[in-house]
Amino acid sequence: MFTTTQSPIVSSTNERGLRPTRDELCQNIQLLIQLRWAAGLGILSVTAFARYALDIRLQTAALMLIGVAVLLYNSLLSLTCRGDTNARQVERAAWGQMILDWGAMAALVHFTGGITSPALIYFVIHAALAGTVLLPWQARSLAVLATAIVIGIALTEREGILPHVAIPEFEMSGTLYQNGTYITGVVFFFGTAILTLSELVTRIAQRLRQREERIRQLYEARSTFLRVATHELRAPLGAGLSLMHNIQQGYAGEFTPEQGDILDRVTRRLEGLRTLIDDLLTLAASQEVTAAHVPLEPVGVCPILDRIVEREMPNAERKNIQLTCDKSTDAGVVMAGDVGLGIILGNLLNNAIKYTPEGGRVNVKYRLNRPAQRIEITVSDSGIGIPADDMPRLFDEFFRARNTKTLQVTGTGIGLSTVRTLLDRYHGHITIESEEGKGTTVHVTLPLALRYTLSDG
Amino acid sequence: MTIKILIIDDDPDLVLAARMPLEQAGYEVFSAGTLEEGLAAVDTIKPDLIILDVMMDTHTAGFQLAQKLHGAGAKPEHQAIPILMVTAVHQTTPLRFSPDDDYLPVDAFIDKPIDPKTLLAQVSTLLQKT
Repeated sequence: MFTTTQSPIVSSTNERGLRPTRDELCQNIQLLIQLRWAAGLGILSVTAFARYALDIRLQTAALMLIGVAVLLYNSLLSLTCRGDTNARQVERAAWGQMILDWGAMAALVHFTGGITSPALIYFVIHAALAGTVLLPWQARSLAVLATAIVIGIALTEREGILPHVAIPEFEMSGTLYQNGTYITGVVFFFGTAILTLSELVTRIAQRLRQREERIRQLYEARSTFLRVATHELRAPLGAGLSLMHNIQQGYAGEFTPEQGDILDRVTRRLEGLRTLIDDLLTLAASQEVTAAHVPLEPVGVCPILDRIVEREMPNAERKNIQLTCDKSTDAGVVMAGDVGLGIILGNLLNNAIKYTPEGGRVNVKYRLNRPAQRIEITVSDSGIGIPADDMPRLFDEFFRARNTKTLQVTGTGIGLSTVRTLLDRYHGHITIESEEGKGTTVHVTLPLALRYTLSDG
Repeated sequence: MTIKILIIDDDPDLVLAARMPLEQAGYEVFSAGTLEEGLAAVDTIKPDLIILDVMMDTHTAGFQLAQKLHGAGAKPEHQAIPILMVTAVHQTTPLRFSPDDDYLPVDAFIDKPIDPKTLLAQVSTLLQKT
């Protein structure tokens, strides 16, 4: 027997913070690389525009060089997230990118006026972006480094160690860069802005990561719980029903008609419980299947259809129901999930048999509609049908139409809501036609995965 | 000579549910509750058929035992004994095991809850094959 254990859930903030996952890093790095293309081109075009259209006297050569350098190292960096790089390598690449960017920013600030440069604001923005790809300590260090760079440029220019590059049109008097009060003021605002913003972004990124981690853990805990719980629930039912069958079939001696009646009632209730548990497991499995991180894959429809029909055949035979299957072809591949497609078809066929009285008919038709680029599956039965009033609510979870009680059918009605959720994921459609007392027809269509579908042969 | 059937299952109620119809049908029934007991019993009792539960105290105990008895490297006298596997995978779950030589080397499956008639039919079919 299984024992259940509690899954640990993240509940307190770890000082060092969660490391970003490789995928998250790559996503953010890709964004930064795109921004850097814009930045590099921006530097080049704004420089050209300012110099040639507005006649602003800039250090054109130096600025163009910076722009080209940015574009160059960006193209090298766009090779970062290739398939074989692991998380540590990507982390190091992120760190490297930032250092290069800091160098470019320092040069940019220097050549556009140092402490009087309007480009200082971009330094602050960049520090914020760094918070999304770096670990907290790295982001904070870069914010401090930026402030140090600005102070360094301001002081070395003021002392003449570094030649001040003025934009004459900005600095009419040309001595602002030597103004100690001005320097102090700008450094103060720059420093506080960059440190605050970088801290904010780092914290937000951390909180996002923690939430994702928590969600992942909850998902895992829930799947484990459901799997274990349903197994634990099934085992005693299986054992109990096995023994009941023995008595009912006479292997434990004679019993009175009254006792036999009670045995039947008990067995029926237990069977109902068993169906409920199986439906719950199907629901849980399907929600796992519909979880966002499970990718779709090319799935052949016919093998699954064959398997489901074969599986339900004994159920049909037990009720003397004639179960037929028409397939126009054997091809047809859709982008779906193997398990999910089985759940859809299984549910429809199972319902058709369940809600058809003894001696009825159930037919499954499969058609590959090449012009419309889809496969069409139709399940029709000669069963009790669905009252018109109940049709709109058919896809609600746990809904069961009023007339199902007449057949004493056990079942929880989970099926159709699951089917619809899965079909939405696979970009398929479902329509239901029914007439109470006559029967029901369910049409399902799924778009063909053309690349994988072979031609009829 | 009476036919000997060994039931390897850790649930005593299931063992009883299988034992009743089998004994009434004239078979001699033995049982073991764990993987180790089961393996030992196969050698001491030398049954003509084994009924094996897919999951015993651990997830894979049933599979492991099936591999030991029928898998690659198993003794020929073990390989000769047909195995009927009792599974809990119910009909409405899409995952369905079927005898697959590469993965699960058993000869037939039967679903829980055990239906005595079905059990006797399966057992008789398997015994006729040997």
